[in-house]
Amino acid sequence: MTTATTTPADHLSPGLRAAGSGLNTMRRHPLLLVLALMVLVFQLTTGSFLDAGNLRGIATDAATLAIVAVPLALLVVSGYLDLSVGSTLALGGLVAGWLAGQQHQSPVVAVLGALAAGAAVGAVNGILCCHLGLSAFIVTLAMLAAVRGLAQQLFPLPLSSFGSGFAWLGGARIAGIDAPVVIAALVLVAGALFLAFTPAGRHVFAIGVNREAAYLSGINIRRAPFALFVVTGVAAALAGAIKASVLDSVVAGTSGAGFELTVLTAVLLGGVALTGGSGSVFGVLLGVLFLGCLQNGLTLLNVPTFWQQMAQGVALVAGAALASFGPRLTR
Amino acid sequence: MTRFPYSALSASRRQFLTWSGGAVAVGALATAGCSAPGDGAGSAKAADAAAGSSSGSKPLTRIGLDYPFTQLPLYSTLVKLSTAAAKKHGVSLLTTSDAGNADTQATNLNTWVSQKVPAIVSFPMVFEATESIAKAALDAGLIWVTYGGSLEHQSADIQFSFLKGGTLLGEAAAKWANEHLGGKGKVAFLTDSTIQLGRERTKGMIDAFTEHAPGVDVVAREQAIDPDTGLSKSRAVLAKHPDLNIILGVTDAAAYGGFKALQQAGRAKGDAKTFVGGQDGSAPSLLAIKQGTFYRASAALAPKDIASAIVDVPLAVAAGKANPGAEVPITLVQHGDTVRIDALLAQNA
Repeated sequence: MTTATTTPADHLSPGLRAAGSGLNTMRRHPLLLVLALMVLVFQLTTGSFLDAGNLRGIATDAATLAIVAVPLALLVVSGYLDLSVGSTLALGGLVAGWLAGQQHQSPVVAVLGALAAGAAVGAVNGILCCHLGLSAFIVTLAMLAAVRGLAQQLFPLPLSSFGSGFAWLGGARIAGIDAPVVIAALVLVAGALFLAFTPAGRHVFAIGVNREAAYLSGINIRRAPFALFVVTGVAAALAGAIKASVLDSVVAGTSGAGFELTVLTAVLLGGVALTGGSGSVFGVLLGVLFLGCLQNGLTLLNVPTFWQQMAQGVALVAGAALASFGPRLTR
Repeated sequence: MTRFPYSALSASRRQFLTWSGGAVAVGALATAGCSAPGDGAGSAKAADAAAGSSSGSKPLTRIGLDYPFTQLPLYSTLVKLSTAAAKKHGVSLLTTSDAGNADTQATNLNTWVSQKVPAIVSFPMVFEATESIAKAALDAGLIWVTYGGSLEHQSADIQFSFLKGGTLLGEAAAKWANEHLGGKGKVAFLTDSTIQLGRERTKGMIDAFTEHAPGVDVVAREQAIDPDTGLSKSRAVLAKHPDLNIILGVTDAAAYGGFKALQQAGRAKGDAKTFVGGQDGSAPSLLAIKQGTFYRASAALAPKDIASAIVDVPLAVAAGKANPGAEVPITLVQHGDTVRIDALLAQNA
């Protein structure tokens, strides 16, 4: 026999329930309100912020950030960190560009080569951090320098002219949407599903909250973070291949320089705790969009360079404060 | 009782670290052993000490090249060409690894001065901050050659006019705008205000353009020196000004990002009403110019000329020649300059 139970909310009209749900989302993700206000201000002051062409530009620029931010966020939730993504992005772009442009391989082979390079970097990070227990901060900082050096040693000169086949990755449109945006959307959905519906997703939170307690609960505390290191490396390399395709060129010394801080900023703005154990993919999406909109809006407003830097700093602190004062999302 | 795995790992981790440390030490010794005969550092140092480079008439055996922007493709090209040029004179070339950091540059230069590297060719990131190091070098009897400018304390300099590079590009773009757009249209500048080189290039580019094409509307001045930033800034500018005609970059890399943004906005590769130009003479931009696209100009330095100056100027100082400095020419490369483009591409290969 089943018993039907009712709550006060059941007596509300669908409109009120939707409003309540919206308010709840706003409470859980205060950055959403800041983002909405920022978009409104930019639209009112520029008049062109919400134009389809501009939104498309923001989405395409933010796509590579989102592709790396999602796995990195999961890694941070599990209590680890990867600062080597900027150099891995460069290596991925260089390997893909070299295979497509100089070795005349198919775009599929070029991308697979990039992913393999990213996976190798991620695996080294994973072994050193998860299996040998070294500090993720030190290891990935070291890898940031080492991989950049390797990339510059292997490819000291710029690579360009990768052919029309490889240009598909960054320039094709799928159902009217740019391919990088479609890839980013798939990564976001996969990340959200992984966290919400898989045991491994729950393990990520458990490991991030208390590694020893998770271990004593029978969770393999090395497997999931190791896999996340590899996936983060793969994602960074994929982002590098996309950037190489969009620009039809890649330079070892400058490609992805500083990217690790941008992506980490997006992750932390999205409410992921650097100490591990809390965060959400939706929050990461908000963090990515916040950075993309801010950069784009300031450019549209033709704000002088140093004022842009100051405005970015102020906006980031405001966003981080809101994210910090919001509730911690552990599931 | 179940044991937390990391405590059980401690022994193997110690072993790992021990083996790693051993491997690194062996590798370092091997590297040192391999490099010593090649660059002749040890014997050269003794020879230099005996020579007392300050005398102005003793042969140089070592030159230190301090080019701070190791992240730029030009660094590898310069090191390769300078090493080859130095070898012809029986000189070995040392290099620093400053990674574009002024503090690191100062540390490395101080090390060279204390080690008495007989001749130092340095491209100061902050000229004022390098003055005291240059003085210390001269006081120690070393040769100091300033690259890309002049210091009060120096033996000689290798000059480029970054201002002139920007001016050449600005004038060419203005001339094109007057001829093809009737002196009207819209221009966006991709600039750099973070280092002296960038500020000079930016000033030359903007001043020359606005002076010679006053009717063209300046719609943006955005900081961008790399292709990623050039792409995203240009995309944003194009969203507000889809009829943008001209993008001029303080570097070829940034301008190339603008070139891609225009293409992705639907601009045909050879669009007659569009002009993109940059500075440096980097390979992707030179190829685009050669192919006759709307990437129409680059103010380029020849790496081979720079490499020759890096070796010849300190040698001239050591030989006591009058006026040992050099000025490396900067020229504007445009579509049709096929021979020059091919020569530059070959030097960058």
